[in-house]
Amino acid sequence: MTALPGAVGSAFARVDVREKVEGRAQYTADLYRPGMLHGAILGSPHAHARIKSYDIGAALAVTGVHCVITGDDFGDHRMGAFIKDEHAIAKHKVRYVGEPVAAVAAETEAAARLAARLVNVEYEELPAILTPEDALKPGAAIIHEDLESYFKVFDTGSRGNICSRTEFSQGDASAWAKCEVVVEGHYTTQPQAHVSLEPCGALAEPDAAGRITLWSANQSVFRVQANVCESLGMPMSQLRCVTPRVGAGFGNKMEAHIQPIAVKLAMASGRPVKLILTREEDFEIVRARHPFKIRMKTGAKRDGTLVAREVEVLLDGGAYADDSPGVLGNGLWFSGGPYRLEYLRTWGTLVYTNKLRFGAFRGFGNPQVTFAGEQQIDEIAARIGMDPVALRERNLVRGDDRWFGGTEVGSNALGKCLEQVKERSGWSRRAELKPSAPGRKRGLGVACTAHVSGLLATGAIIRMLEDGSIVLNTGAVDIGQGSDTVLSQICAEALKVPIDRIRLASPDTDGSPYNWGTTASRVTYTTGRAVVAAAGEVERQAKDHAAEILECAPADLELRPGGQFGIVGVPEKSVTFAAISARAHWAKGGPIVGTNSFVFDRPTFDPKRAIAIGLPFPAIGALAFGAIVVDAEVDTVTGKVEIRRAWSAVDAGRAINPQSVEGQIEGAFVQGMGLALTEEMVWDGGRLANPSLMDYKVPTALDAPFEIDPIIVESYEPDGPFGAKGVGEIGINGVPAAIANAVASAIGARLSALPLTPERVLGAMLSLPS
Amino acid sequence: MRSVPLALSINGQVRQVQAGLADTLLTVLRDQLLLTAAKRGCNQGVCGACTVLIDGRPQRACLSLAANCRDSTITTLEGLRGDRDMARLQGAFQSSGAVQCGFCTPGILISAHWLLKQEPKPSIPAIRAGISGNLCRCTGYRKIIDAVAAAASAAAAEAGA
Amino acid sequence: MTVPGYHRPATVDEAVAVLAGTDGARCLAGGATLVAMMNANLAEPKALVSLAGIAELAGIAASPGGGFRIGAMTRHRDTANEARLTGTLSVLRNAARQIANPPVRNMGTIGGSIAFADPAADYPPALVAAEAEIEIAGPAGRRRIPAEAFFVDWYATALGPGELVIAVHLPPPRPGAGLYRKFARVAGDFAIVSVALAAARREGGHSVRVAIGGCGPKPIHLAEVDAMLGESFGKPEIARKAGERLAAASDPVDDTRATAEYRRLLLPRLLADTIAEAETLLETK
Repeated sequence: MTALPGAVGSAFARVDVREKVEGRAQYTADLYRPGMLHGAILGSPHAHARIKSYDIGAALAVTGVHCVITGDDFGDHRMGAFIKDEHAIAKHKVRYVGEPVAAVAAETEAAARLAARLVNVEYEELPAILTPEDALKPGAAIIHEDLESYFKVFDTGSRGNICSRTEFSQGDASAWAKCEVVVEGHYTTQPQAHVSLEPCGALAEPDAAGRITLWSANQSVFRVQANVCESLGMPMSQLRCVTPRVGAGFGNKMEAHIQPIAVKLAMASGRPVKLILTREEDFEIVRARHPFKIRMKTGAKRDGTLVAREVEVLLDGGAYADDSPGVLGNGLWFSGGPYRLEYLRTWGTLVYTNKLRFGAFRGFGNPQVTFAGEQQIDEIAARIGMDPVALRERNLVRGDDRWFGGTEVGSNALGKCLEQVKERSGWSRRAELKPSAPGRKRGLGVACTAHVSGLLATGAIIRMLEDGSIVLNTGAVDIGQGSDTVLSQICAEALKVPIDRIRLASPDTDGSPYNWGTTASRVTYTTGRAVVAAAGEVERQAKDHAAEILECAPADLELRPGGQFGIVGVPEKSVTFAAISARAHWAKGGPIVGTNSFVFDRPTFDPKRAIAIGLPFPAIGALAFGAIVVDAEVDTVTGKVEIRRAWSAVDAGRAINPQSVEGQIEGAFVQGMGLALTEEMVWDGGRLANPSLMDYKVPTALDAPFEIDPIIVESYEPDGPFGAKGVGEIGINGVPAAIANAVASAIGARLSALPLTPERVLGAMLSLPS
Repeated sequence: MRSVPLALSINGQVRQVQAGLADTLLTVLRDQLLLTAAKRGCNQGVCGACTVLIDGRPQRACLSLAANCRDSTITTLEGLRGDRDMARLQGAFQSSGAVQCGFCTPGILISAHWLLKQEPKPSIPAIRAGISGNLCRCTGYRKIIDAVAAAASAAAAEAGA
Repeated sequence: MTVPGYHRPATVDEAVAVLAGTDGARCLAGGATLVAMMNANLAEPKALVSLAGIAELAGIAASPGGGFRIGAMTRHRDTANEARLTGTLSVLRNAARQIANPPVRNMGTIGGSIAFADPAADYPPALVAAEAEIEIAGPAGRRRIPAEAFFVDWYATALGPGELVIAVHLPPPRPGAGLYRKFARVAGDFAIVSVALAAARREGGHSVRVAIGGCGPKPIHLAEVDAMLGESFGKPEIARKAGERLAAASDPVDDTRATAEYRRLLLPRLLADTIAEAETLLETK
């Protein structure tokens, strides 16, 4: 039977691609509303200061200005994903350079920006805390004086400048006694900026009833709604959040940026207000990837059995908690690597500093701990004289194994992933590899990793229109990863209709079922599940109609391709969705609506198996797996690392849209390459020194290797839609580690700090005994 | 800064806009003419999302002052609707998986379109160099390069090669 | 109606007159630098003198005597594609072709670029290695100075008030090599360290000019280094000594691209590697 267009497993052209290639796709900045004003913000010049007073007179006097707002215009309401520590705009205090302090709505963007610069704020400077170590010193200035009183979603252990602490352990520490080889090391990773091509922005418009409609660059209309309403102290019913096209997120747009400010400006002016951040503001005031300080110790037996690991991490959380407690927890949860260990103890502290908040960024702590962990695996392999791939193969979590803490591993093709990259890279012949030119050194490096397909709540509503076509509404935001298409494919497959009969409704807090957001590699897995279940509901209701129309029992019927039911074994007896739907609308039963709603509720930790203190996510998700081999060359003149080729195999269950899965693997690789080699946010005192694309360098088409081999390895996740899991993040976690391992293999020296700049690599080479 | 009426040649038509000394072509295209395919990604000429054709060559609309464009011919992605080579490129982007979030896509299409005019059968290194002035954070570039190569092959096939 | 503050003179003399007579006026060449600064509120010129309409500033022409004149408004792309810049003059083509990326090379001009004098830019060391002269026009008339004298300090040139770059003059090309080796973090980035090397065969050895970019306020060029390389071009220990001299004369800073220490370390290594490359080129000719 020929598959219908858009069937699961087909590389179907995305449903949103035509408008994008024609340049008609509308992102937040492309929206224009009648009477629209433009917004601009004024950022704090200080890293830590009390706000004494505002003088908005000069700002108000600028031609074209409609209103000026400051912290005084907001009530004392706070938002925050784990700890509600953040106001919509700085109130009483500023805690990082650039933190929004005032905002203006004016006829033109130029007028708004000019007026914002003219708002005069009087500050009383406080000592700026710029490192976690400084924040932990006795007598250090306290960044959140009311920390005790903040609402917290879990037992965070917050006190002083400690935002949260988490500890997990499983097994017995006596396992160390069995270890014949122990490696220990300290590792540091750097802050990375998302650099989504679309800077953050929002457009808020009051309607005739005074209710606000809010378009924004977002990864979740529901998180936007919650954050805005919490920080403005308004009922959720007063705010409708919708989404235009989004120009990527990678975590930057998961929680609030300036949406609360845009809404306030709209309410204060009574007009639609569009506020789009400059690239500099996007660097300076939104969020970034956490720098990690890691101390790790891994022990093994001489026969290559991994036995024990201990991991201690220190995270700089920046000025507000945001998603940081989750990043700490997730990083720790993955810090053992995808291996069987007798003993794993992993703990860490998240500390406030007077810098930009650090938050969600693809991988969510996993790339950082993997950078340390996968290098230690290689070090152990070297110490015992074992092939690094063979060592991993020996210890991979498999079959009936459970993940750290007790989570069942549903589907697991990690062994196959590793085998694929080993074969395709020619790993066993790597000693014969020749550099491409004199003066270069070459090596292969491997890394294995796992990631979550998570978590929290999601739903689906499927309606059959009068003509038998289908409207699917999930509330899931497509940020470019392709979920609109994948969810449409899942629905099309479930109902056996061609994909062009499925219309996907745009996420809208008014009409969509709750969807926590496009994050944690969760949409295909969780929302896809809801779509399949809702489709099942639709099928059941439609089948009842069909049975009455065809005068048989529902059990006699089969769902046939093309939107129809027929009697099994009687090809000429069938009835179309259109006929069924007409009956439902006009005669009996009511229009067909299938719904599903669930929250992921499998516990992360089993208290009989493991100890968890300060667990941010009691029920996290399923597991996806990946293996990478990188072929890297080091220029011995300069120390620069060039990636010649990479093989990245991913077990994401079933590939609903293989081309999109490849796209995620390839994109994650290059973003991981930036993390590994060239990207670093640098502070000059309290000020970000390189908030521009001139100074902060992401890979170009000439830097990214052409030869990235994405390898889809299919397993079958029992709970996933058609067996699928998530793929958004798995492709990035192992990249810095695999590159570091390749460099170590090439030059015979190992680096423990990211990024692997030419200076660091050259320094390592020159330090070697010649 | 005072703005005054200014006539610009855009997509084959004379369009009237209001421009002050510091107004860029990008803001005029987007805010006044609603030609929003060209995007503001950095406003510093680095990301490439604002790339348009000025006098037939890809240039940064964010670094071009509207006032200085008065004697130039400007073509945006919207203006290339109906151009066969662009249609072929767009089709290749669609089928190759070269588009994820799509924010970089208009700028990359302009650069790729011009590349293929200069080099109808570009090598992979030439394609990479040709789009090196357009940043993409989603795709890792591979499928974009594949799409440009596919469009070049399709053009060659059509030409009866 | 003209946009207030926007001037588009037809001749150099007109441009000089407008610059002299208009408070806060700046020249607008390709816009790659100036408009970026305006967008970031780092420059707010009250008036702009666009050089786009001045025919004298356009094009690359052969000069009597075998050299070339590159008009100040010549775009990087055209300099990079200029087939007549052969031999020792290829250093300029090689520098131009590595500036930024294709769209920026379609916009940026040699005059605009050198007037900004970014110490990490590609033209300054290449022009010094090519022994170029810069032609300047101003209220007091025209003058020509060696490129080496044009770049004075961090983002500072020998241009006086009301002066602008008119053209770059190049001596006749000599058969040989003209290499521009740039080391940067990613493709199209500014240089961390760059080596511009022009070498031609002559009686009894080579004629060499080396200039280093990215390692101080202006390109580093030492006549003694030219001389020692000219005498013993192929010898590794001479290349090493040359590198040490140049590094000792350098004054690099720490910035977001690299540290000063790394630049000092890299300079001699990159120089030696570039010399080796030039050697191979010269031998195969």
